Amino acid sequence: MVTLAEGGADLFIPKVYDIVWSLIILIIVALFFYKFFLPKFQSVFDERAEKIKGGMAKAEQAQKDADEMKKEFEAKLAEARIDASQKRDNANAEAARIIAEARSRAATEAAQITENANRSIEAMKQKALVEVKAQINQDAVRLAAGILQRDLTDAAVQQDMIDKQIDGMASADQGK
Amino acid sequence: MIGSFGIGAVTLAEAQMEKPSVQDFLPPEILFQGTPFAINRIIFVRILATIIMLLVLGITAARAKVVPSRWQSAVEWLIDFVKNSIVYQVMGEVRGKRYVPMITTVFLSLLVFNLCGEVPGFNIAASATITLPLVFAMWCFCQYWIAGIREKGIGKFLKDEMFPAGVPWPVYILLAPIQLLELLIIRPFSLTIRLFANMVSGHLILALCLSATQYFLITLHNWMITFGVITFAASMFMYLFEILVACLQAYIFAILTTAYINMSYPELD
Repeated sequence: MVTLAEGGADLFIPKVYDIVWSLIILIIVALFFYKFFLPKFQSVFDERAEKIKGGMAKAEQAQKDADEMKKEFEAKLAEARIDASQKRDNANAEAARIIAEARSRAATEAAQITENANRSIEAMKQKALVEVKAQINQDAVRLAAGILQRDLTDAAVQQDMIDKQIDGMASADQGK
Repeated sequence: MIGSFGIGAVTLAEAQMEKPSVQDFLPPEILFQGTPFAINRIIFVRILATIIMLLVLGITAARAKVVPSRWQSAVEWLIDFVKNSIVYQVMGEVRGKRYVPMITTVFLSLLVFNLCGEVPGFNIAASATITLPLVFAMWCFCQYWIAGIREKGIGKFLKDEMFPAGVPWPVYILLAPIQLLELLIIRPFSLTIRLFANMVSGHLILALCLSATQYFLITLHNWMITFGVITFAASMFMYLFEILVACLQAYIFAILTTAYINMSYPELD
């Protein structure tokens, strides 16, 4: 019982070697944490923070670049739209002009053709009339010749008949 | 007759349960006996634990990368825990920055030393002597005094500690010595005793459970085996509980150290 009590009391009395080893270990451990462990991790934390910061700056720059590119793209797109619209308008105008020209040319050509056709018809008509007149004349002459029993195609006969007519007309006038 | 009595005595002796005692914390010196560098079992465990801790943490720190591995993340979590959940929470960032290395040293060292009691082969906490907690507590109180004297000057520091404001002056006759006693002895010893007693009691209870298990299950090997199962279950529970106590005591020591140092600073407006 006494031994147990003594042992219990001994528990609370620091031994010299225990103090020495505790101090040695505390100094070593403290030096390790103060001089190596924590500075090393602090540098890793700083580097990480720097990288995150750098990454964020890069991301911001990339965002800016992307925004600028988007703006450029949108400007180009708007320009292209305007250009396309202009081209479309020009094309439409050109098409309208071509159509109008074609129409005009077609109308002119049609008029020309019509006019030519009319002229041709007229010419043919005139020709036909001349031919018909000639034919009629011939037929009339032939008929008259048949009636008069004379060859009216002979110039002397024709002259003779003309003279007789003129004489007849003159005597008629005198009788009046 | 004598022979049979003798055999009976031996059997009885063999059947005795080996009980843990305070002598477990006063092991004989095994190296450098009688010198200031004598080594007993607990100090041997402490030296081994220190070497292992320095190697593991040293290699981790040396190989630390910006993109951490799982183990590095765990160590970083511990550092963050000490920094944010202990130091900055109690002292604030401005005051606390100076004490992060100290509290990290205290917390991680005590954590490793306390956990040695649960490591098979070591079987005893490296902090299970009065001296180690006392040395750590003394370091804490050196910092406490240094901070107080640096911030207030020795006169004002002692005045603030011994003569708290708002107390009628006759009370100071009683209060001033008590305050001085608290400042010099009670606070460091309360830190020391709390840690030491927890390590001792934890070891005794765990060793008792395991010893009883050995006794009931193997030595007796009869109908009392049921008790062995119960004590085995109790020892498993105590083993886990002691791991919790080891972590908790390291945390309590670290947070009290931080709180005591913070008390030496002048009150913030």
